[in-house]
Amino acid sequence: MSMDKNNKIKILVIEDDPVITDFLCTGLKYEGYEVTSRTAGKAGLDALQQTTFDLIILDVMLPDIDGFEVCRRIRDRGSDIPILILTVKKEISDRVKGLDSGADDYLTKHFSFDELLARIRALLRRRGKISKNRKLQADAIVLNLETREVSRKGKRIDLTPTEFGLLELFMRHPHRVFTRETLLNRVLGYDYDGGTNIIDVHISHLRNKLGDRPPRLIRTIYAVGYAFYPEETGT
Amino acid sequence: MRVWDRLSLQARLGLLYAVLLIFSVVLVGCYSYWNIWQLFISNKSSHLRAQAKPIIEHWLIDNDLAKPDNPHLKLTHQNAFILARDLTSRNTVAIVLSRKGDIIANGKRLPEEPEAPIPDKQYFRRALSGENEVTYRSQVNGKPVLVMLIPLRPQPASSQIFGVIQISTLLTDIKEILFRHGAMLVSLVAIILILGIVTGFWLIGVSLKDLQGLLTSCHQISKGNFSQWVPVKNRRDEIGQLATSFNQMLEKLEATFASQQRFVVNAAHELMTPLTGLRGSLEVLLRGAQDDPSAMARLSKGMYKEVNRLIRLCEQLLGLSQLESSSNVHKQPIILSDFFNEFKADAQVLAGGRSLAIQQGPYVKVSADPDLLKQILFNLLSNALRYSPTETPVVIRWKLLPKQVEIQVSDQGQGMDAETLSHIFEPFYQGKATVVSGDKGIGLGLSLTKSMVEAHEGTIRIESEPGKGTTVSFTLPLE
Repeated sequence: MSMDKNNKIKILVIEDDPVITDFLCTGLKYEGYEVTSRTAGKAGLDALQQTTFDLIILDVMLPDIDGFEVCRRIRDRGSDIPILILTVKKEISDRVKGLDSGADDYLTKHFSFDELLARIRALLRRRGKISKNRKLQADAIVLNLETREVSRKGKRIDLTPTEFGLLELFMRHPHRVFTRETLLNRVLGYDYDGGTNIIDVHISHLRNKLGDRPPRLIRTIYAVGYAFYPEETGT
Repeated sequence: MRVWDRLSLQARLGLLYAVLLIFSVVLVGCYSYWNIWQLFISNKSSHLRAQAKPIIEHWLIDNDLAKPDNPHLKLTHQNAFILARDLTSRNTVAIVLSRKGDIIANGKRLPEEPEAPIPDKQYFRRALSGENEVTYRSQVNGKPVLVMLIPLRPQPASSQIFGVIQISTLLTDIKEILFRHGAMLVSLVAIILILGIVTGFWLIGVSLKDLQGLLTSCHQISKGNFSQWVPVKNRRDEIGQLATSFNQMLEKLEATFASQQRFVVNAAHELMTPLTGLRGSLEVLLRGAQDDPSAMARLSKGMYKEVNRLIRLCEQLLGLSQLESSSNVHKQPIILSDFFNEFKADAQVLAGGRSLAIQQGPYVKVSADPDLLKQILFNLLSNALRYSPTETPVVIRWKLLPKQVEIQVSDQGQGMDAETLSHIFEPFYQGKATVVSGDKGIGLGLSLTKSMVEAHEGTIRIESEPGKGTTVSFTLPLE
């Protein structure tokens, strides 16, 4: 789902806690979204009138008007923009209230960022904002996310889960330079304690299986890490 | 005593009741038995006397002995025998005794007539001394007899006593009647006892039934089921009162439990927000933002703030729980003006460049914990600073009230509406006001402050008008 840089998906974050806002914006930007944030309900509604967004992440507890009210007002304007509500309360009544007021989905606070991303992707897919095709394609490499099958130039390649994860990450973010540390965290999990050398081993296996020869698709960036350069975009 | 203590209340009451019942019924039975016996005896003796009296009178006249001051008063075997014979019948025998106590004549002639008991000297002397009817019980051959001694004198009330007649009659018939009566009495007592004990146990059981209900409810409640109320049934007796006050206690317990639970939920929610910030920031960093120094710096600062907020929250929670025990409040005499002179420097640091006025009031000595007093003032001061524009002043002043002193912290900030004021002391409650300077609070400051003031036996109140400002006043006891 490589997308045009000028056609990034725009997300509006309405949240009053500065730290949560900060990590949401930073994290989402890293995932390739364009993020705007507002710290109050009315300011959020104003921002919606000035720009069109593809998705809203909305906190329930806001200093001026609460999230449910914001949701209702957005729906009253006839907008069907996907809304993801963040709530602290776990009570069912609150979830029902959120969904009744027009939200599409909710997450309780202490959510994991991965889950948030998955919910965002699901919401966007449902509205047709991103391709429903669960396949990634670059440089004659086809990665099927559902069957977890990989082929290059029509020839099937068997990858281990770690290698698959690495390739998926590279193909989702072409040109982006990943440090070994980041690759380790993203593919093997945040609580993996081993050294980063293991990443070099996995990359080497992946290159062999892909038949990746210089100039390589997966390049070593000296003293930093690795990056993925599909051929059609050139170097 | 151990066995007694282990018995159920019903068994104990029942036993006590049964013992009491047995004791009183047996007492009544014995008394009535004795009473009837006495009645029979007195009846018998008056019967004897009634029989004897005319016989003796006739005998006196017949033998010319009825004349007053008769110098020839003398008992002979002959005349004495006539008298004894006249007085003797099937159940009764009479003997005539001389003044010396010798038996002059014995009326017993036939074998079916009873034997006369040997005269008792003590009773004989009493009769001789003039007592008209000396009656006593004795035994002849193992059979009970009633003995009556009648002194012989020529005329009633004469002091010339020339002999004594002893009449004795068998009591076997009375004994027989009494035995029958006693048997009836015993069976009656037995019936009364059985009936009484059975109904007693039943009555006690009925009265204790509600107590049993209370006990069942207690068991339920001890398992954590607070909705199980004790049925009261409009009773006004002790059990009804017990049930009522038990229910009141339950209601209070339930409310306390609910508020405790609410507090825990609120505390957990309050912990959740900074934790979400921390977790999200860490995740974003680990996912790759760590490679970007500016993102790293920003997120680290945010995380640092969140950790501080968590620590502050924990400190206040600890503070609240510490105030629950008065042993953590160390009161000492404080001269208020001296205290504020010292406090001013600290307060100025908190206020930053803001205008802060401490208006000296009258000389007073209060009894307070200086650390807690400082914390109270810090809390109120930081609230005042947080919710008022930077160019407006914050004023601290105090005034003397009877037996206490009132300290006020006023600002000219945004104030609060009545709705906010009514909830302002609830833990974790935060009004809609926007923070002018500094961090957003946690919502524990004022409830903590209230607890601290109350730990000093003081009171706290807030007057506020939206748009005009807020004044918080609290009292401290004088030394």
